[in-house]
Amino acid sequence: MKNDNYFSTLIEKTKSNKNTVLPVITILLVIIIFQTINPVFLKAQGRITLVYSMSYFLIAALGLTFVVMMGSFDFSIVSLLKLSALICGLYINKFGLWVIPLAILVCVCFGFVSGFLFAKLKVPSFIATLGISLVAEGIALLLSKGHLLMITNSSFRKLAVTFIGGIPAVFYWAVGICIVSTLIAFILPFGRRVFAIGENAKAASMSGINVDRTRIYVFMLSGFFCGIAGVLYMAQMGGGSVGLGADMMIPLFASVVAGGTALTGGVGGPHRTFFGAIIITWTESGMLMNGASRGMQVVVLGIMAIIMSIATLNKSRI
Amino acid sequence: MGTKKNNSLLEIRGVTKTFGGVVKALNDVNITIEKNEIVGVVGENGAGKSTLMKILVGVFPPDQGELYYAGEKIPFPNSPSEAAKRGISIVYQEKGVIPQLQVYQFLLLGREYLFNSYNLQIEEMKASAVQILRELQIDCSVESFMYELSLSTQKMLEIARAILSIRLEQGDNNVNSIIILDEPTAPLCIEETRKLFDYLLKMKEKANASFVFVSHIIPEIMEFTNTVHVLRDGNVVGHYNMAEHDLTEEELFKAIAGKESSTYIDKPVSRNKVTGEIVLDVDNLKKNGCYYDVNFELYRGECIGIFGAAGSGKSKLLNSIAGQIDFDQGNLIVNGNKLLSGEPPHTRLKKGIGYFSGDNNKELFLNWSIAKNISILNMDKITDNIINIIDFKKEKKLAKNISDSLNIKAPDVMTDCYSLSGGNKQKVSVGKWLENSPDIILLEDPTIGVDVGARRDIYEAIYKMNDIGISMILVSDDPKEYSALCDRVVFMTNGKIDKVLNREEFEEVIR
Amino acid sequence: MINLKKKSVYLDFVKVLKQNPIIVIFFVFFVIFSFLYTRKFLSTMNLQAILGQFVTLMLFALGPSIVMVIGELDLSYVGIWMLGGIIVWMLTPVLGLFSILVFPLLGLVTGTFIGFVHTKTKIPVFILTLSLLVTYWGLTSQLSGGYPRATEKFGFITADIIPYIPTVLFWTIPLIIFAIYLMKFTKIGTYLYAIGSNEEGAKLAGINVKKYKMLAFVISGIFTGLSTIILFQHLGGSVPVELNLDTMVNPLVAIVLGGTPLTGGSGGPHKTIFGALTFSVITRGLNISALHPTTIQLFIGILLIIAIVISARGMKGVEVT
Repeated sequence: MKNDNYFSTLIEKTKSNKNTVLPVITILLVIIIFQTINPVFLKAQGRITLVYSMSYFLIAALGLTFVVMMGSFDFSIVSLLKLSALICGLYINKFGLWVIPLAILVCVCFGFVSGFLFAKLKVPSFIATLGISLVAEGIALLLSKGHLLMITNSSFRKLAVTFIGGIPAVFYWAVGICIVSTLIAFILPFGRRVFAIGENAKAASMSGINVDRTRIYVFMLSGFFCGIAGVLYMAQMGGGSVGLGADMMIPLFASVVAGGTALTGGVGGPHRTFFGAIIITWTESGMLMNGASRGMQVVVLGIMAIIMSIATLNKSRI
Repeated sequence: MGTKKNNSLLEIRGVTKTFGGVVKALNDVNITIEKNEIVGVVGENGAGKSTLMKILVGVFPPDQGELYYAGEKIPFPNSPSEAAKRGISIVYQEKGVIPQLQVYQFLLLGREYLFNSYNLQIEEMKASAVQILRELQIDCSVESFMYELSLSTQKMLEIARAILSIRLEQGDNNVNSIIILDEPTAPLCIEETRKLFDYLLKMKEKANASFVFVSHIIPEIMEFTNTVHVLRDGNVVGHYNMAEHDLTEEELFKAIAGKESSTYIDKPVSRNKVTGEIVLDVDNLKKNGCYYDVNFELYRGECIGIFGAAGSGKSKLLNSIAGQIDFDQGNLIVNGNKLLSGEPPHTRLKKGIGYFSGDNNKELFLNWSIAKNISILNMDKITDNIINIIDFKKEKKLAKNISDSLNIKAPDVMTDCYSLSGGNKQKVSVGKWLENSPDIILLEDPTIGVDVGARRDIYEAIYKMNDIGISMILVSDDPKEYSALCDRVVFMTNGKIDKVLNREEFEEVIR
Repeated sequence: MINLKKKSVYLDFVKVLKQNPIIVIFFVFFVIFSFLYTRKFLSTMNLQAILGQFVTLMLFALGPSIVMVIGELDLSYVGIWMLGGIIVWMLTPVLGLFSILVFPLLGLVTGTFIGFVHTKTKIPVFILTLSLLVTYWGLTSQLSGGYPRATEKFGFITADIIPYIPTVLFWTIPLIIFAIYLMKFTKIGTYLYAIGSNEEGAKLAGINVKKYKMLAFVISGIFTGLSTIILFQHLGGSVPVELNLDTMVNPLVAIVLGGTPLTGGSGGPHKTIFGALTFSVITRGLNISALHPTTIQLFIGILLIIAIVISARGMKGVEVT
């Protein structure tokens, strides 16, 4: 009897915290499945692959998280990431490490334009950022002229590939930035405002929040994160062509919703995206390790994205 | 001879409706609607007006009661289209108009003339639209888009649509129709309201229509209806035949508000003296179609009520001051600072104007805890002074203080707001202003839909704010609220200030 | 009397232009390019190319412009084209010419799926269709083995009938007319405009909003399905295995340029015609102008932004996300 009661409260609690519990269960599932299929998954070599694939990805996803928390959408993340990586690759020999702030600054500027279009000119954020992403892609193409890049600057590459405790530095960057953005979201008034806008933009405006300005800041923040992600991506890869396609948008956005940040805005947070990024990138890498083609990976991620965004949607808010 | 029977088109007898087994929304309501007359149904919010309407158009059935159409007993309709078959149709307050449709499409929306079940017979539709427009004397082209027309024409077209729907359902062009108008003047400005009513008076004979006019706007009711039924707490507390009774506005007012109105309002015992310092100077403020040449001064520590019917421009004026809508002309000066038209609300707050509405959706973050809801407005109070981060202990303490002083009934301040009762939600929204204290707080329906106990707590909070020198402007649908809160009351009719009364004079008027 | 009539025709004309500024813009660009590059721009080849691109844009945009009327963004069209194309390639050896029916079938299934999921779960359509698009692309790439696969069998679709005029135009025009008829002369169209304009009001008028919303996606799916039959051959009898952002965005630009607002309620396929024409003229003109292709892409991005900023100008007060 008592046991039964305990069980029902457990179910009750799970239900009310489904956005917290689900990601954890999913991560366990992902690990169990891939570990059974292929034991390399959690071995040292597999671990490094997992860490490499999730780190820069997590940083970019964090930027998107803030936008989604606010109830908007940012399509330009991948393009900005690409642009930032490209700027690093192209100008590292000219400017040295100064290329890092330059790349980030460019991305922040693009974020500002997106935010301005959205907040002031009332263009729906999805479309505004779609336009921005076209422009960014165009500029990236113009700059690179299709050339292959090689980065020889070792201090730049060390940013990402130094091993600390058997794990590359890029992971620590990602975790650090995740912690910082979680703090931004939860203990800074700014984070509170972002949640407020996502929850009820009208009430936020009546509570004295400068809604337009906050929206612009959030898109700039998103650009900022994309810039960092791009820099670290370049440092990690060390060159080559920047092979990120539009298809990367889906895993990024899937990782945000998989963590439990609902598309309707107002709930979730960067710490959730940490789990989401693990779910998505580990699934991706797990499939890669087992020889699944890119097409198959995309199919799985696309379906996951649809299911996860439906699962986290707060129906009362639509 | 039984003349009354002869003329009565629709009779509602003994209608009772209970919600959830407890709340009696309607209790033994009897209303008779005669041919070609305009019947007014008045009452405060929650008096049962909308429940009655919804029963008539078949949104839900009554628990008890009978319906007679031209002397014959008929069952209550169970859907809007069935109601139209019985000759009853409704024009909703807002949202009924579909702006991007052409007039003929709108008139026949949902009742298109078709061949092969999908294809439109456009010429026939246009012809019948032209015919009804001509008959009802609405002056517009059937091909113009709805958004191109004035609001009053849109309203007339909605009425035409309602009449047409009854005719089409019954297949008879001379049928008597009963059109229910739910607060038809709410979205209209003054001139347009006048136009609409002239039109209704003309049309009732011509189109063979009776109108049930649901409203809480007394002057309109007085001027345009033949009989008035007053609803209060689900009971019909008065029938007035305008031809027989020499009803005054004050009498009607009392009937709506009820005698026991004064019982639950404690008069404030001690109120701070109003100082001579002007906080807000409203100087010749004007917004075309809403209000004109508004002038008044608000002193520190004073509470002014803007009293008037819905559509008199009082809410628009308040919203202009709050920064939700802009104004066309004139000056708004707060503490010597001029306010610009079109400034967003947060700028107004910075300049010292806060806004509080009883509408929880406008005010609250329902998925947030009480503490977070209170602190969002008081960020500077709960942040650490040095590095500007949120201090959760301070936040909790602040919320606890406010929650205690307002008797908010909740397990603790971390409870989410959606789980609170309506009154407690409102207390949370008012509570956040307790700590913020701008120079002026604008109150819009601060106690709408709240029970007596919660109302008292909210008033207490408002007095408290008033005592520390915050000035206020009140707009409400409830006249009792003015006598409970205001030092002066500005009367507004048709967008202009009529007179300014002090509290004693005001109480005399409404008693 | 006659004079009066003339005047009203003139006024009507002005009114149409005022409601559709894109017509003016189209002629302005056409004239500018004709003057700048008279020989190249007015050559038969270039005019044919303009028509060809117009057909591409228009066919892709037909379905989405119907969905845009109810204020939603359907991005699945490229996905239907790609996945359908690869399935056709797989099935042609088995089914022969009938395999082309995969397109309308896939369109129907996709549209129904989108409509069903959206009306049931209220998930934002652009997210749903974007995910679906990428999923379809993944399937395409999986099924094709990573290489574009061409089918020769359907050449008859684009075989020349009349010299100088692209044959696809003959296939496209009935489809466009059908779409316009559907939106302007049937009950369904009226209801979709009503829903896009004021969903609440449509509900009050007794329209089954959910049903018609769902129907919009189904219709869009069918149109995309039919269009892709033509497009498949028009674009070379094969489909790419890489997702190209431009292919997805260009029809959107055409719709928005045409004057269908993102919030819905007005516009529709008939407006998209001039949007697509203008877009084709601009891109062809730029191509001739010897600008770098990437500059042109940049320009298109900016064009999209400008078009949307202009179309959003009347939307103050509308809650945007």
